[in-house]
Amino acid sequence: MNVAPLARRPLGCLKTTLRQARQHKIFSRSMATEVQATTSTPKSPPSQGPDQNFYRLVDKKTKSVRSAFALYPQPLAAAGKPLSPPSTTNPVAALHEFQIKKLDPTGARTALFARTREAAKVGDILLVTHRRGGEPFAGVCLSIRRAGIDTAVLLRNHIGKVGVEMWFKVYNRNVAGIEIVKRRLKRARRARLTYMRKPKHDMGSVAEFVSAWRKSRRVFQTKGAKGKAGAAAGAGGKKKK
Amino acid sequence: MAPRLAPATRLTFRLPLRPSSPAPLLLQTTTQFHTSAPQHVKSGWSTLPPRAKPTRFNQVTSGLPAPTTGPAAALKRKAQSTPVRAGVLAVKKGMTAFMGLTGTRIPCTVLQLDRVQTVLNKTRKGHGYWAVQVGFGERDPKNVGAPMLGYYEAKGIHPKEQLAEFRVRDEKGLLPVGVQLMPDWFYIGQRVDVRSNSRGMGFAGGMKRHGFSGQEASHGNSKNHRTIGSAGPSQGGGSRVLPGKKMPGRMGNQRVTVQNLPILMIDNDLGIVVVKGAVAGPKGCVVKIQDACKKPPPPEEFIEKTMQALKERFPNAEEHLQAARERHLELKQARREKRIEEILAKGWEPTKEQAEMMERAAAEDGHESLGEQATL
Repeated sequence: MNVAPLARRPLGCLKTTLRQARQHKIFSRSMATEVQATTSTPKSPPSQGPDQNFYRLVDKKTKSVRSAFALYPQPLAAAGKPLSPPSTTNPVAALHEFQIKKLDPTGARTALFARTREAAKVGDILLVTHRRGGEPFAGVCLSIRRAGIDTAVLLRNHIGKVGVEMWFKVYNRNVAGIEIVKRRLKRARRARLTYMRKPKHDMGSVAEFVSAWRKSRRVFQTKGAKGKAGAAAGAGGKKKK
Repeated sequence: MAPRLAPATRLTFRLPLRPSSPAPLLLQTTTQFHTSAPQHVKSGWSTLPPRAKPTRFNQVTSGLPAPTTGPAAALKRKAQSTPVRAGVLAVKKGMTAFMGLTGTRIPCTVLQLDRVQTVLNKTRKGHGYWAVQVGFGERDPKNVGAPMLGYYEAKGIHPKEQLAEFRVRDEKGLLPVGVQLMPDWFYIGQRVDVRSNSRGMGFAGGMKRHGFSGQEASHGNSKNHRTIGSAGPSQGGGSRVLPGKKMPGRMGNQRVTVQNLPILMIDNDLGIVVVKGAVAGPKGCVVKIQDACKKPPPPEEFIEKTMQALKERFPNAEEHLQAARERHLELKQARREKRIEEILAKGWEPTKEQAEMMERAAAEDGHESLGEQATL
């Protein structure tokens, strides 16, 4: 851009300067739009030139064309209609995404077992509430099997001095809520804490942790709900929908 | 019932021929059909159809019932267990779960279709049976031999990665060549048979291959813990190994059919068919999906709907095939006469009809695909 006129006419020429600048822009844009203009021309029929659409069998020694066969490009296969290849080569992931969107609209379940700092980890004590009634099941999380919609957690507890382990499908509708009762103090250095089944490492019953957690929750509850508090502590808490 | 009177007059004329007839009224109805039967047979009876008068041109089988063996009889016998429609080829993509809104969880297998096209119709007259050859995917022409390049040239389609054949019951199951079969070829809830090769286990012992018990760990056993035991009785029993004796050998990599799998979901965009349960073979293996042969075929309305969809999506498939065939014959002749280089040099000139067809195809290219998205 020429700066000289700007210097000669300090303020009055602002309009002209702006116009010049605009024109400069238009000029630069027109260079780009030149390519676009060609694409807007009506579609030419598929090229049937000599080079495309033939596969040549070439003699390796003499380098001469031994024979040639017509090729029909895939998009023009059936009478000009493009054959549509599938939109993805990983349909399982797409299926997972589709189902998760339907079964976990708020994203709470996904967030609870995502690979983030806030998410639940192995070694944490979790409490799972069922939709179909029954006692909520609490236990230490031994492993998290991440598999899209099929993601599951393994909880271990002692019920009547007998070790009990249960798998829960995180996205299952029957799982009404999963809550973190107690976090592990130090991050576990194994993905699966199977060693916790051994007597030396077994945590035993987690009932005392759960009751302590319930007591701490009761502080925040209103008076009206107090009567029910004991039974509905798990269900009445923050539900992961 | 009214015209009964007229044959009655004929009855009076015929009565002397069969004087022993106890029920003349019954005879009245039967005599009309047996006028050509040999009149000289007085005794005995047969349910077989009357034999034709023997002539020198008659075969020995003339007048006998249709044979119960042979190709025609075999087709007739198998008609009931042959599906009405062709199936599709797909790739096993893996297993996952299908979660219901009521808390149900169904293990399922995801099968993906990729540019599945019909390639050839096999007919009773030309090949001895009815079948549809179907192609899957796309193959680089450099990996295709000359004979097959010529085959695809004549079909007017790009070389396919896989080809497979689906037997159908009769000519009603044949399809136009070159059309694409999408997942909506099936409907949700339909039962299908899924065929694929199982995972190959290599050379396996008797315990793994046939579930033999093996031998004990102790009690004087020496170095024979997983071997098969006896191969049969000794002297007195023939001193030989009976045919079919289960022994160690190659295990797996055999075709396995899983029957009557319900379809849980179809999606044209993703190209997937989700079936309930497991399917043999590793991920990435090619599977054949076809209507279940032990269930009634899909309803007529559904078959009509799918055929209609094919017609709408590929209205000029037949013209395209015909043009490709004609061009193939020209090129074939040129290859024989060593003129192919001339054609390559000047380029192929389409005939008038072919040019018209190409123009129409190019015009239709801009349209939206008519494929209806399957509801998820």
